[in-house]
Amino acid sequence: MIISVLSFCTGLLFANDKYEKAMQANIDAIYNAQSPEQIQAAINSFERIGAAEKSKWEPFYYASFGYVMMSTRELDGTKKDLLLDKATEGLNKAKAIRADESEIVALEGFVYMMRVTVDPATRGQQYSGMAMQTFGKALSLNPNNPRAMALLAQMEFGTAQFFKAPTTSACEKATKSLEMFESYKSENALAPAWGKESAMRVLKQCN
Amino acid sequence: MKAAIFLILFFVSLFTFGQATISGVVKDEKGEAIPGANVSVEGTYDGASTELDGHFRFVTAETGEQVLSITFVGYKSFTQTIQLNGQDIELQVVLKEAINQLDAVVISAGSFTAGEEKRRTILKAVDIATTAGATADIAGALNTLPGTQKVGESGRLFVRGGDGSETRTFIDGMMVLNAYGAAAPNTPSRGRFMPFMFKGTSFSTGGYSAEYGQALSSALVLDSKDKADINQTDIGLLSVGGDVAHTQVWDRSSVSGKVQYTNIRPYFGLINQEVDWIKPPVSLEGSGAFRQQVGDHGIVKLYGNFNRSDFSLYQHDILNPVQVKAFEYKNNYGYGNASFLQSIGNRWTARGGFSYNYNEDDVVLDGGPMGQIEKGTHTKFVFENSVSDQVELRFGAEHINISYEASRLDSLSIQQVLKFNNPITAAFMEAEAYASKQFVARAGIRSEYIGLEEKISIDPRVSVAYKPFEQGQFSLAYGRFRQTPQNQYLRVNNKLAEEVAEHYILNYQVINNNRTFRTEVYYKKYLKLVKFVNGNPGQLTNSGTGYARGFELFWRDSESVKNLDYWVSYSYLDTERDYLNFPVTSTPTFASRHNFSVVGKRFVSAIKSQFGITYSYSSPRVYNNPNEEIFNGGRTPAYQDLSFNVAYLPKPFLIIYVSATNLLGHDNIFGYEFSETPDSNGTYVSRAIRQPAPRFLFLGVFFTISKNKSINQLPNL
Repeated sequence: MIISVLSFCTGLLFANDKYEKAMQANIDAIYNAQSPEQIQAAINSFERIGAAEKSKWEPFYYASFGYVMMSTRELDGTKKDLLLDKATEGLNKAKAIRADESEIVALEGFVYMMRVTVDPATRGQQYSGMAMQTFGKALSLNPNNPRAMALLAQMEFGTAQFFKAPTTSACEKATKSLEMFESYKSENALAPAWGKESAMRVLKQCN
Repeated sequence: MKAAIFLILFFVSLFTFGQATISGVVKDEKGEAIPGANVSVEGTYDGASTELDGHFRFVTAETGEQVLSITFVGYKSFTQTIQLNGQDIELQVVLKEAINQLDAVVISAGSFTAGEEKRRTILKAVDIATTAGATADIAGALNTLPGTQKVGESGRLFVRGGDGSETRTFIDGMMVLNAYGAAAPNTPSRGRFMPFMFKGTSFSTGGYSAEYGQALSSALVLDSKDKADINQTDIGLLSVGGDVAHTQVWDRSSVSGKVQYTNIRPYFGLINQEVDWIKPPVSLEGSGAFRQQVGDHGIVKLYGNFNRSDFSLYQHDILNPVQVKAFEYKNNYGYGNASFLQSIGNRWTARGGFSYNYNEDDVVLDGGPMGQIEKGTHTKFVFENSVSDQVELRFGAEHINISYEASRLDSLSIQQVLKFNNPITAAFMEAEAYASKQFVARAGIRSEYIGLEEKISIDPRVSVAYKPFEQGQFSLAYGRFRQTPQNQYLRVNNKLAEEVAEHYILNYQVINNNRTFRTEVYYKKYLKLVKFVNGNPGQLTNSGTGYARGFELFWRDSESVKNLDYWVSYSYLDTERDYLNFPVTSTPTFASRHNFSVVGKRFVSAIKSQFGITYSYSSPRVYNNPNEEIFNGGRTPAYQDLSFNVAYLPKPFLIIYVSATNLLGHDNIFGYEFSETPDSNGTYVSRAIRQPAPRFLFLGVFFTISKNKSINQLPNL
């Protein structure tokens, strides 16, 4: 009896350790990837882990994040949409596991933001509104999510520039997001850590 | 002892009996390496991505029977059962291309689609709303596409030698009767449905699917938007009225409503009008929509619209223009539509709905009242089955009931009534199959039972498309189409058979990098058209015939010049008919041989404004001059119009919109009316049918109130 419980526990312990190790290695890989091939390889790993684990949202989240990263480098609109479709697929899987995760919702907003770039003239209105609304939702789920704030700042900055309107509010949000990045703490060792650079880029244009 | 067993178990769980290396290469059907494919032992972390040369290699500690899977975007997944017993495995895998990709061939003969969903479309949903000269009217925008003939005094869609009644509108698959608003005689009417309601528009100028019936020439299929995403209130102040709309969203549902009041009285005071109004048109319109998401992919949509409009005017006698008759008109209209879409399992989808149409026209002409009421219901169910990646099967049934009643007081003040009730039951079945990415065929059959005629009809519809090159593709379509005669004829003779048209279409299309070229050749044969016996409108038969043939060109380019998007359309039409009161075969008065349009759009960010310009040309149309021997021997001047619009966005939530039609002030004449009797010299006196005003000027200010100030109404304009 005791034995089976013990061996079960060690199994679990090892499994968890294995999960975190594998995830950590691939998260490092995706943050440091230089080429689309490297991103794709990391995405593939996340998809394998996700398919094996079934109850973890992080693998699907990072796979989706990988596709968003690839879409930022893609110039062809049709291919960009295809990548964003894949990103959305991953997000839907992540959401099915954890519906109210602020990080997942923030990444969903990022996808909408990238949809705008395919065809700003026709998509701008619809998708920029959806992006802002989604960032707002991410912040309501976790007011301390620095990525949601940074993306919101970026989106607002772009809109203000387009309308030649004051960028004050966007810049305040960028500053705020940097403070949030500084104080951000998560109990989840695999929590996302990207996004600080984009806030800094916005701030650079503010001064 | 216990400790010993524990230790053994511990080591057993830690160490593996043996490791196997799985390696191989992944290629496509042409033998090219596929890099980046995901190779995995299902249910484990073990796996690898293929390298640039398609090779992969990884080590797994799994044992026994396992499933190896290989996946890559755009290809069908590959799976194979493998036995892992410590021995290495090497595999050569060929991935087959999945067909449902963006670059696969599509059936394009006869159809223009506008929407965001399918990205390789010729028009964007927003194009419908931002075309200059269209003043946000769906038909107005589609009239700049090839296959249409400009008929300025009607405002409807006249397609390939067909008249306006031969184009049928469908909303979410449900039939719409009286799709155009009320208008004074010889003035253009506007569509009742605003373009911003729809996420997609498919405009077919022939050869459409077996799903759509009761349309001789053209099907306009409108797909309404899904659940709204943003709470917002829109206010519009227009030079001819105003509107207020509000949208409220919840997690899985949304509600929106709009009220619009239009009164062109102030406007008619400003600009000289051809029409002698007693009371210019006033209309009050309301619409509402409800959306509810159901399950993972299901949705229920409800939509309702009512409209009340009236006007009155003096009709001047042609012989003696000071002699007038008062013409008073009231229209009550209601449309309601409920539709659903639900997937059943992986392969089946069910959709369907119910629609109700009500239209009442009340006219008082020179003190004599007359009127007509039409009520229509439509019920429909469709099932779709994805038999495989390559084969799609669709079948369904529908029931349409149209009841109609016209009445007037005759000279003895006795009420004369003409009425009918026409139930139509139809079933259709259609299969679409991809042989490869290069070749697709669609074959369908539609059967209808017409209650009044008491006859069953069976019509075939076939399309194929072939894409021999990377970009260009050919498409061919054939189909037989039918439609019950218009109410004004069916009420005289209830036993009239359906009118019939056969379409033959050949299309070539290239869409590449925001440039589209498209050309189409067609032949259309008309059979069983309504014909007057010896010119007597009280005696009708189905002995009329006709044909239309022509070719069309379309070019769109939003790539070559930065921030400029333009398209050019040309249609050539040769058509003749022997129908209605025609004593001989002749070109009908609504047909014009050459139609040409150029549409341009440009956003200038320095002044935050979007500019649009449209030029249209139609060659002369025929008219019948009773003073001449030859039937339909007269020729109108050519039609020309240059329209312009600008939307200025000073603030993200505010738009100021100005549009003007016929900037050049061209005197467009659509035809001539003649006096019923000759004058003292024995000649029939003519009067030109002109535009109600030489120019139409429109000014609007639109506000949007929402939490997010950047949302505005531009997509709606």
